[in-house]
Amino acid sequence: MSITFKQVEHTYSQDTPFSYHALKGVNLDIETGHMTALIGHTGSGKSTLIQHINGLLLPTAGEVDIEDIIITATDKPKSLKPLRKKAGLVFQFPEYQLFEETILKDIIFGPKNFGMDEEKTLEIAKETIKLVGLDESYLEKSPFDLSGGQKRRVAIAGILAMDPDILVLDEPTAGLDPQGAKEMMQLFKQINDQGKTVILVSHDMNQVLQYCDDVVVMNKGKVERHVKVDELFKETEYLTSLSIDLPIITSFILELNKNGFNIDPSIKDIDELIDVLGGELHG
Amino acid sequence: MENIIEVKNLTFCYEEDVKTIDNISFTIKKGSYTTILGHNGSGKSTIAKLLMGLLEKNSGEIYIGGIALTEENLAKVRDQIGIVFQNPDNQFIGSTVRDDIAFGLENNCVDPKLMDGIIEEYAAKVDMLDFLDHEPTKLSGGQKQRVAIAGILAMSPSIIILDEATSMLDPKGRMEINALVHQLNKDKNMTILSITHDIEEATLSDYVLLMSDGHIIDTGTPEEVLKKQQEIEEIALDVPFAYKISTGLQNKGINIDTYINKEKLVNQLCQLHSNK
Amino acid sequence: MDSMMFGKYIPVDSFIHRLDPRLKIGALILLLVTVFFDAGFIGYAILSIFVLLMSFMAKMKVSQILSAMKPMLFMMAFLMIFNLLFIQNGTIIFSLGFIHIYDQAVVQTLYIFIRLLLIIIMTSILTATTKPLDLTLGIEYLLAPFKKFGFPTHEVAMIISIALRFIPTLLEETQRIMKAQASRGVDYSEGTMGEKIMSIVSLIIPLFISAFQRAEDLANAMESRNYNPEAPRTRYKQLHWQFNDTISLTATVIVSASIIVMSFIL
Repeated sequence: MSITFKQVEHTYSQDTPFSYHALKGVNLDIETGHMTALIGHTGSGKSTLIQHINGLLLPTAGEVDIEDIIITATDKPKSLKPLRKKAGLVFQFPEYQLFEETILKDIIFGPKNFGMDEEKTLEIAKETIKLVGLDESYLEKSPFDLSGGQKRRVAIAGILAMDPDILVLDEPTAGLDPQGAKEMMQLFKQINDQGKTVILVSHDMNQVLQYCDDVVVMNKGKVERHVKVDELFKETEYLTSLSIDLPIITSFILELNKNGFNIDPSIKDIDELIDVLGGELHG
Repeated sequence: MENIIEVKNLTFCYEEDVKTIDNISFTIKKGSYTTILGHNGSGKSTIAKLLMGLLEKNSGEIYIGGIALTEENLAKVRDQIGIVFQNPDNQFIGSTVRDDIAFGLENNCVDPKLMDGIIEEYAAKVDMLDFLDHEPTKLSGGQKQRVAIAGILAMSPSIIILDEATSMLDPKGRMEINALVHQLNKDKNMTILSITHDIEEATLSDYVLLMSDGHIIDTGTPEEVLKKQQEIEEIALDVPFAYKISTGLQNKGINIDTYINKEKLVNQLCQLHSNK
Repeated sequence: MDSMMFGKYIPVDSFIHRLDPRLKIGALILLLVTVFFDAGFIGYAILSIFVLLMSFMAKMKVSQILSAMKPMLFMMAFLMIFNLLFIQNGTIIFSLGFIHIYDQAVVQTLYIFIRLLLIIIMTSILTATTKPLDLTLGIEYLLAPFKKFGFPTHEVAMIISIALRFIPTLLEETQRIMKAQASRGVDYSEGTMGEKIMSIVSLIIPLFISAFQRAEDLANAMESRNYNPEAPRTRYKQLHWQFNDTISLTATVIVSASIIVMSFIL
């Protein structure tokens, strides 16, 4: 069971002067239970790709298999609801999707749409609000009285409450301050540890290195790499050609190695690096 | 060096009794690159709007280039300041790059015959000359922010305020804007006031103002301010990477200075390594 | 939404594209009036040839004209059927049960069809060959005389141009919010009445909130760049009346005048 793309093509506004070929023969096999990063330039096809995972966009050619649901260009499932329930998609700046009078109502909006009964939704709302780091007293407040960061947490709670097997996140920490971003990433890691598949679109290579198992690189509508995270950051020339920065820790190690040090560049953790560095200097 | 911005006992409330800005005073030196650093909701963006006269202060005094910010002096104060806001889309007023740069010139009653020349000059400065007839929806966030900067430069201010201007951009856009702003600071002696929560960006500035809950809790050079780990972590920010490494090594008994700058740290580490 | 061509600017270079927007707006108004003067078959023939000539000079493709008509098809069909059935003049040429169709009805319906067709084509020629901003500028110039009576021409023009600037942005936003809510199980195509209302609420409220946020940001940005609606401003875009504009105006006036005169004589 996994998320599989077979020769997927997607062209926007096909047969019009405005047509745009966004995905070109994408083959991809994302394993369930992994935390996979999706990186690439603005316009590389990342956001088109993730919208195929919950059926917001359908392939114009090829086949997308999301676990047991199969979508091809010619054969679409009668209803996309089961797919939307299975794969929860958190858009960039999700705080803009809030609309209910209370946070409770907003969180259970998704679950209710998927036919969950009222009593159970209340229970789930109480669970998820705590999960995103707010307490139960918030449930009766208006989402519009919250700060930007809190609104984002509530919006994410609204997706988590749907209990999706797959969680797709489009730059979930954009605009958050360091503390907020860190807490949010730890939440996603925790969800991943519970066995959920997490797909993270991110421009922040530090996050990719620290939290993700695998990484998919997109460029000009194609998947160019699908490797373990530390494999990717060995390919410095390739990354430079895409003007993707190295994680700050990796570029620091490489800089030292250029000047006579010999440190393993796959070190992710700052304390581990300090240990190794200390060792080298004590010698 | 003279102070181009002077703020004395400034207080501002959005709601009654909730002081978003609580009795703060600071000065900004002419030609300097100053960063206001604070977490989301610390009041740092409110300061930008107060300096620009977009919000009305409850009490206190603001002087820009020696002129007091009052109702009557509003135009004279705004003539000296250009501001780049956070959301690239919401400050793009014209239908094309050309029209957007022209907007400020129109407001300043510049002769239309001279506008094309000015527009091209400043579009070239921000490297957007090839995009003059492009519509905003066809531009990236970084490009839109560059157009915003061109529009500001065309009005020849002496201060540029960046109100989290790079927080919605991808790393490439962020890098381009930061490089452009640093260059303006160096070549044109433009005073830059950058409002951000990016600590690595702050390490590159001349001065740092540390903000929390409507107060300025510390000021000084990055070297002075950014090494106060406890203070910085208390306000939900992160200390610079070089600081973490150098202090970590000190704890291991290695004789090394405390750094906030990565390049300088690499230099000393290499020296230590080769002397070993 | 992408296939919708009516009212879209088509960026090519043509004789009509280069004409002054004031002329184009004026000519359109004049021709729209002319359409309603019944100068018989010859009158419509002259007007049709003139309009076809214009669309040819504007380098409009037949497919563009056809797709411009698409959104109007339903209304046109409705009007035509209505006319065919309810005009009862002349002789009956076709009967089916209680339905009788008269020869005058056919002629009248044909005229209505031609009128609508001409109106749509003429309007799309204007919008296809004139950038929205130039259109605004043209309107502002034409409304300038009303300034004396306190009509806020400048403000109206600014409002229109900002609206035009933000239409694509808000369309993008609408799509984004629809997709975000669809991800939360909203089905925009199916569902009970209650579900439909809910789905629209879930779109409208975020859209309004974001529009207000944008408006506030925009107001700040405009004010920061010294915008003051009461203060004098210069205009970057200047309109220049050319010799071609005079020729085109003359041609339009001659065509309109002859049709109007004919309609009184015939």
